[in-house]
Amino acid sequence: MGAQPGEGADPVSVATAPPARISRMTGWLGTLTSTDHKRMGLTLGGLSLLYFLLGGLFALLMRTQLAQSNMHFVSDNSYNELFTMHGSTMIYLFVTPMAIALAVYLVPLQIGATGISAPRLALAGLWTWICGGLIMQQGWFASGGAGRAGWSSYAPLSNGTNTPGVGQDLWVIGVILAAAGMAAMAGCVVATIARRRAPGMALLRMPVFTWTALVTVLMVVASFPILVLVMVLLYIDRHGGHIFTGFTGAIDYQDLFWFFGHPVVYVMFFPYLGAAAEAIAVCSHKRWFGYIAFVASMMAFAAMSTAVWSHHMYTTGGVTNQYFAFTSTLLLVPAGVEYFDAIGTLIGGALVLRTSMLFALTFFLQFLVGGLSGVFVASPVLDYQVYGTYMIVAHFHYTLFAGSIFGFFAGVYHWFPKFTGALLRERLGKLQLVLMVIGTNLTFFPMFFLGNDGMPRRVSRYPTHPGWGTLNELETIGAGIIALGVLVFLVNVWTSLRRRVPAGDDPWLGHTLEWATSSPPPPLNFDRPLPPISSYSPLLDLRHEEMDRGGEPAEVSAAR
Amino acid sequence: MRGGAIPILAWGTILLVLAIGNWVWNDKTADGAAASAAVVIIYGFGVALWLARREAIRRGPPPPRTDAEAVPQASVSAMLIGLSVGCALFGLAWAKFLLYFGIAVFVLSVGRLIIELRAERSTRKHVVSEEEHR
Repeated sequence: MGAQPGEGADPVSVATAPPARISRMTGWLGTLTSTDHKRMGLTLGGLSLLYFLLGGLFALLMRTQLAQSNMHFVSDNSYNELFTMHGSTMIYLFVTPMAIALAVYLVPLQIGATGISAPRLALAGLWTWICGGLIMQQGWFASGGAGRAGWSSYAPLSNGTNTPGVGQDLWVIGVILAAAGMAAMAGCVVATIARRRAPGMALLRMPVFTWTALVTVLMVVASFPILVLVMVLLYIDRHGGHIFTGFTGAIDYQDLFWFFGHPVVYVMFFPYLGAAAEAIAVCSHKRWFGYIAFVASMMAFAAMSTAVWSHHMYTTGGVTNQYFAFTSTLLLVPAGVEYFDAIGTLIGGALVLRTSMLFALTFFLQFLVGGLSGVFVASPVLDYQVYGTYMIVAHFHYTLFAGSIFGFFAGVYHWFPKFTGALLRERLGKLQLVLMVIGTNLTFFPMFFLGNDGMPRRVSRYPTHPGWGTLNELETIGAGIIALGVLVFLVNVWTSLRRRVPAGDDPWLGHTLEWATSSPPPPLNFDRPLPPISSYSPLLDLRHEEMDRGGEPAEVSAAR
Repeated sequence: MRGGAIPILAWGTILLVLAIGNWVWNDKTADGAAASAAVVIIYGFGVALWLARREAIRRGPPPPRTDAEAVPQASVSAMLIGLSVGCALFGLAWAKFLLYFGIAVFVLSVGRLIIELRAERSTRKHVVSEEEHR
């Protein structure tokens, strides 16, 4: 029989005693079979982080090959495998699952629930995803090598004739499993938000991160089944099914793929936006500004992300460019609301420039470059000019790396004390930030110039061209600096866990319910009564009430 | 649960409007099929919640719960289901025996899952009756 959480949490949640054989499973085996959302979140997040390192290693190998023109560090075929597996690892195995991991871990805590809905489905989804990742990487050991038709694996390039071999099959199966697993976990998060909010937690009292997580998982539920379907069709096509044949077949593949492919860009963005928003609000000691507008813009943003997919296909001549240019440009409106809200939160706040806050601010600044270059490529006229060049590579790396990754680190520095009960080292965090900002801009900014100059993407060697060699060398140096930044982060985690500085339950004076429990939280999440929930910042409300009663506000003591 | 289906149905409605816009402008089979599938999935989710509890479309904060809800702590069957699906699909590309092995493990895991669910239900009943007794 589990602990009874206090007022506000489910009063009669029952931790069912596992069968005796399972009870004896401790350590790793206990973690692997655990249906506790926190353990599942940490397992998914930890494995995703390992894939981040692997994907980063692929990137370093690619950048070494591109450091100078006509290098022979890797073969053309290996380079194709590297860029395919780099993109696939980062998208299917790191950024997207990490977003879901954050949602699986944090959403039940933020809404005052004792667990996740349908935890067995979530665990089955986790293991399906794990299998997907391992099978995808298994391609490296296959005869003919790993998948090499790009992370989008366009047909007919990816069919059995043009990309023969088991490696590409393993890639297809890996994507099917990873997508199905993530969709299952996302469904559980949707159900948790719908069914298990604590008494008092009305929809418009849910924290900002929970809203970003909700729209994220809705996008996953809506679009990932389409990816599973298109990959099943591709597998059949590769084995003599003749599904994506001719011009129509190629366009149909792209249409279906990008119906998943564009929403996933926002799946890889919204939770990190939510993390950055939480960090900014807490470090400003202020409520998140413009909450209702933010929620409405998130709903609209997420829905519109499923109506812009064909802007990836302007140059095919198979889509209505005007319609998709219109919807793509329209995305500026909700994006603007988010920036407006972030600035509104900062104005008048008692700012504390912790590492999480600095990462969050950098997230907004860096993503701006990606967002504004997105306005350029949303225009078909300009897209025809830069399609297939490094301009596109620069754009999406500024959204995904300079955006999502900085938001991810803002979230890590913000919630690490909650996950582990220990504080990360601030100095090392700031050193990591400086290295990553320098490395990111040194790597990706020159790509705009190269793209504008016409350097094509996905080539292993490029001709000697004035300026290209220098810019590519700078990018390779930048990639090395990013790697150094990630190394500093790993050292920080190692040091902080080895020589722990206890964080306490609420080291930052947080606003949301996850800070109203111990760090790390107990099995049923809350070991004490929840505070009354009358807004999206219940703990801030509590402190304000204390101040009204004549006590000194905690913010003031903290500022001292 | 209260209001839980509202954001899902609202989001599904925005998707529907955009799908109609897409259909009017593009009128392509693949586009229409993908957009319609997304709308059906989201509406299906929302309607399922609504049918489960009518309060799912009522506004306002959730009231305190009175029914018992089980929170399982571990599940070997769920892990095995995930692993068996992976094993079976891996067998498609690598070695056929893994396909059959995966299917067999999947069937056994579903059996184990049924046992786990029955045990959970009896624990819940037991706890509720103990609470009532007190």
